[in-house]
Amino acid sequence: MAKEDKVIGTADDFPKTSWERVNDKVHVWPYLTRLEFMTAIIITILLIVWSIVVDAPLEEPANPSLTPNPSKAPWYFLGLQEMLVYFDPWMAGVVLPSLIIVGLMAIPYIDVNPKGNGYYCYKDRRFAILTFLFGFLVLWVWLVIQGTFMRGPGWNFFMPWEEWDPHKVVALTNVDLPYLVGFRSYWAQAAFGIFCVGAWYATIPIYYIWRRHTLVNVGFTRYAVKAFLFMTMMALVAKMALRIGLNIKYVLVLPWLNI
Amino acid sequence: MNPRLKSPELKLPAEYEAEAKSQPVFMDRRRFLNYSGWVGILGSLSVALLGFLRFLFPRVLFEPPTAFKAGPPSDYVPGTVDTRYTLSHRVWIVREPEYFYALSAICTHLGCTPRWLPSEDKFKCPCHGSGFKRSGVNFEGPAPRPLERFKITLAEDGQILVERGKNFRQEKGEWDNPDAKLFV
Amino acid sequence: MQRLKEHLNLDQMKRNIVDSQIWRSMFRHGYEDTPRNRVLMVVDNLWLHLHPTKIRRHAIRIRFTWCMGGITFLLFLYLTITGVILMFYYRPVGEYAYIDIKFLEFDAPFGMFMRNMHRWAAHAMVIAVWLHMLRVFMTGSYKPPREFNWVIGVLLLTMTLMLSFTGYLLPWDQLAIWAVTVGTNMARATPLLGNEGPFAELVGVTPRLDARSALLGGTIVGPPTLLRFYVLHCIVIPLIASVLMMVHFWRIRKDGGISGPL
Repeated sequence: MAKEDKVIGTADDFPKTSWERVNDKVHVWPYLTRLEFMTAIIITILLIVWSIVVDAPLEEPANPSLTPNPSKAPWYFLGLQEMLVYFDPWMAGVVLPSLIIVGLMAIPYIDVNPKGNGYYCYKDRRFAILTFLFGFLVLWVWLVIQGTFMRGPGWNFFMPWEEWDPHKVVALTNVDLPYLVGFRSYWAQAAFGIFCVGAWYATIPIYYIWRRHTLVNVGFTRYAVKAFLFMTMMALVAKMALRIGLNIKYVLVLPWLNI
Repeated sequence: MNPRLKSPELKLPAEYEAEAKSQPVFMDRRRFLNYSGWVGILGSLSVALLGFLRFLFPRVLFEPPTAFKAGPPSDYVPGTVDTRYTLSHRVWIVREPEYFYALSAICTHLGCTPRWLPSEDKFKCPCHGSGFKRSGVNFEGPAPRPLERFKITLAEDGQILVERGKNFRQEKGEWDNPDAKLFV
Repeated sequence: MQRLKEHLNLDQMKRNIVDSQIWRSMFRHGYEDTPRNRVLMVVDNLWLHLHPTKIRRHAIRIRFTWCMGGITFLLFLYLTITGVILMFYYRPVGEYAYIDIKFLEFDAPFGMFMRNMHRWAAHAMVIAVWLHMLRVFMTGSYKPPREFNWVIGVLLLTMTLMLSFTGYLLPWDQLAIWAVTVGTNMARATPLLGNEGPFAELVGVTPRLDARSALLGGTIVGPPTLLRFYVLHCIVIPLIASVLMMVHFWRIRKDGGISGPL
């Protein structure tokens, strides 16, 4: 070892100015490369052992007329497959995934908080972290776990201790929200549906007008994108709650699209 | 922030900048050549892209034939849903007391094959739990519309002929089409 | 015996090799641990010079980085190698695909092992990418000046999922065909571009001519789909991902190195 690295272990013993802290540097070779090397070896060993012990699944040859029950997408898409229960395919399979990708890409441009750049902290960016963790842990990781372990034949919900009974009967009779509320004519239903969706997103300008002084340095466009993405994420939760609680199929029914 | 990350301010040659400021022009030789260069590059790229997109759709598809003969009507018991052609042709042939209809075994949600559950008198899709009544009308789960029905006629040799190439949708009012039902 | 020992002087043999013109034409500097060599090890090495020569102390803490970006890249390399090996026996044709997988499993020595490694590394890569994104978010490393590298990272996440998804079809078994049927039927529902999506009638798309049939190469998940997904899986998406990866790594350096408290 070269002499200059004796400082390791004693680095924190004496106080440093912020300039010294930022410029407290070590050589990549060997301090980073040895870590990379060790990580690579550990991962390789794990992967080799895993591949020797567990065989990759292979089922019967493809048969276009016989759907296995239950029939599942790859596990990392089970969150999306779960959303398909609550929304029409164009929404759950196309619009929402696109919004997830675009929304993720938009994060650096809508988060104007300069704090928390380059270190772990919760206090300085509560909203950002809570929103992200909610989306990541609940709407992604949890839905994947639920889809993998708790969705059985017929895509029915089974608790972990229940047996997957292919003949389990779940009484599901869908109603649309406008019908449930009491609107019977087609156009009244459509109008009520538009009102519900409109009211949901109307919270965005209302909140802006209410808190415009605190939102000055965010700017309207940035705020609008952020609020739209946030409310859409929450709409997913609301629709799931409506479906699970009240068996609501659609909130808005129009000749062209249903939500 | 690292000062290197800021780009320096763009400066035009002094005389050109003065000229540009004094008389804003919409088009001059320099701009015309610049824009037409970009139009040429982007135009040829988009033509290539369009050509590639068209390339993705072949003129001929080699797919299994869509019409099949399903035996004489006497093979079917009135009031039952027949599953013998589900595996091979993804079709249920339903015989009501007075007529036949051929129901597509492709879930209108995402194209899985539902199962016929005689005890519950419904079709149930294993992928996302959509349920359809015997008529094909959706009543539970995420399926957005009823199952499709196929053209069903009597062939010259007296057998039932199902043509999957011609489908009828309930939400478009097509189930009343004379070809959608077979009276025997 | 004594003579033999004199002739088998290992140090001398090593010196002969290391001092030869051939060796010195390949490796420009010695291996002694000197400050100069530490810099040269990185600068003189095509692969290692992705790194700077010196790095801030906190950036080598696993607690901070979780090492997830590096693990993702390592898994990508393993997937490339095992994938190429699998291509020696696999034919993306409806009649052969499934038997070729069986052949790999039972008749090709280490075939099963290669397939297992490819499969499990793919799953691990999806997890590693997710964790990498979580880490980058939690440390706020997407904030200026690293905004665009986060965007590239999201694109790489999408590419990872697309690679996994297209690879899922290739064994041509029940699991494969139904996962892909469900997945591609979503394309049928794309607004404007899919024949079942909203406003399909206005645009005039048909089952024969819409977003889904472009993916499938037909109206059903069949042999043309297999070939199409094979090309996407082995050529198109890996190429795009590689280009994006190069930009991603390059931009880490250009955006001021690995993030840290300013």
